[in-house]
Amino acid sequence: MTFLTALLRVLGGALAAGALGYALARFFTPGLHRAETLAWSFATGLLVQAILFVVLVSIFPGAGPLPILAIDAAMVAASFLARRPRVPDRLARGQARTLVFTLLAIAGVAWLVFLVAALSEPMWATDYLAMWGLKGKTIFETGFIPRRLFQDPALYWGRPDHPLLVPLSLAALASLSGGWNDQALALFFPLCELATILGVWGFLSRRVSPLAGASAAALVSVCFPLYRAVNAGLAEIPLAFALVLGSCAFFDSLETGSRPAMTRLFLASLLAAWTKPEGTLFVLLLAGTLFLRRRLRPVETWKSGGWALVVPPILHASLMLLFARPIPPRDFDPTFLEPRRWSELLSRFGMVLARILGTYVLPVWVPVLAIGLFFLFTRRGLADLLLPVLVLQVLGYVAAFSISSFDPIWKVDSCFQRLVATLIPPFALVLGARVGREKASQYGKARPGASNAAKSHSAST
Amino acid sequence: MSGGARLPNFLRHSLPAALLLVLAASMVATLSPTEIARRGSLLLRSLAGETITAAERTGFWFDPAYGAFLEEVRRSTPRDATIAVVVPPWPDVYVYQAAYQLAPRRVVERGRQSEATFVAAYGYRYPGAPNPDVTALPGGALFRRR
Repeated sequence: MTFLTALLRVLGGALAAGALGYALARFFTPGLHRAETLAWSFATGLLVQAILFVVLVSIFPGAGPLPILAIDAAMVAASFLARRPRVPDRLARGQARTLVFTLLAIAGVAWLVFLVAALSEPMWATDYLAMWGLKGKTIFETGFIPRRLFQDPALYWGRPDHPLLVPLSLAALASLSGGWNDQALALFFPLCELATILGVWGFLSRRVSPLAGASAAALVSVCFPLYRAVNAGLAEIPLAFALVLGSCAFFDSLETGSRPAMTRLFLASLLAAWTKPEGTLFVLLLAGTLFLRRRLRPVETWKSGGWALVVPPILHASLMLLFARPIPPRDFDPTFLEPRRWSELLSRFGMVLARILGTYVLPVWVPVLAIGLFFLFTRRGLADLLLPVLVLQVLGYVAAFSISSFDPIWKVDSCFQRLVATLIPPFALVLGARVGREKASQYGKARPGASNAAKSHSAST
Repeated sequence: MSGGARLPNFLRHSLPAALLLVLAASMVATLSPTEIARRGSLLLRSLAGETITAAERTGFWFDPAYGAFLEEVRRSTPRDATIAVVVPPWPDVYVYQAAYQLAPRRVVERGRQSEATFVAAYGYRYPGAPNPDVTALPGGALFRRR
């Protein structure tokens, strides 16, 4: 099979996943911007296709893509037979159209740059070879999830405790496209970037203004520290997508408390927690933020979206414990948390901070200063609530490096930049939201809990 | 919505935009035009059906000949084999490439040879004496363990 044929087949597989996702997402994306609906369709397709792949290859081993495509077609047909809820579209139009189109054109060109970089050769990043690609290829080639991926001591470096959504997505795409072509499969990553851009653009266009959406979309697309050739194949790119969707759904659930918004929040949490452990940290921090906003009332927090944030990580942890029982990770040394080692921990914490500041912050003082001034000269935006979450996420990384079993400086150098780059797309939501003023609520005046309008909308859904 | 320092009207819109532009420019500056051109050319050649040599790929940056050796090991071993790879200790990507390229075969490192049905020794020059359990490969040899 030539590369072009393989690429077209992978694209076909991704479109099938997107169509399946749309068939399901149309029930919980009423009233959203078209771009957002596409992003949610892609996310839903990823999750459902990965689950379908695991179930169907165990029932029909060696049957190829036919069972998956048949179920996809049946679900799409069933979806279009059902009526979907309608919510009035209140998108602003006509504001600074030329500037908006220019920014979107920049986003398009920047996306093409990553597309070319990702597809130029077979994926080769170390973590792709050792973790994501190895697991995906093994699952695809064997037709099931071998237990040794979790329990083989010879594979200790393959992070047996990490979630499987990315390997399963790659295996499902390979199955749909008829073979494992690690150059064509790289298309998955630019598609994730595209969905992230669409998610950011759609959400801010709906909640703030098209200019805010286009500004943030352009910022996400030029996030080349994340979207570059070496990161094609890594879970960081799908993770950034999950963080953006999680943030958007979080703000929608705060505004409306509606059932569709909660469903989206649950789905995004699932996506984040099943992509990388950093995704679990992010959704738990969102849950903590919600808990504080609900004045430390657990029942109210649970009912107003806490369940959607907490259940997916628990579900993932339970599945891993029940079915996988992975060998314990060797990356962290919890004895650093014992009182006798606190002084040592403090010194490592200082080392890590000094390394981050000296090597990764000071050299980029110009953009850091620009961000500081931007916050000084702009009004508060609807996504400002993300700021403490993002800061705590970075502090979480600093803490993790400090209790690393390995040299903490080596850990910082090997992954700090890549991990922080995944936070730039959700951070672009914060910046973009400050470009314009938040629109009046789609359901009337915004309020801490669910509004009556939102409740009635939720009931109708 | 509140907050934000007071600015003259002409600066109120242009300054935040300029600051975002600085941020965007700093991220764009991480790109290398030469690298983009090289990758564009590789992609066009791939689309045209040309095979890109291992030397031009980044995946085997540490040892372009290693890819051909792994390909021969893959061809010479069954899919359910356990293969012990004897490779240089640095960089560790020698082992990761072996595990990935040979999947779904199980790959173990030198210390676990007792678990393997084959030993793939990279860089080993087999003298050529006839032995049904040894296969000379480009860049090394494959030993069947019984």
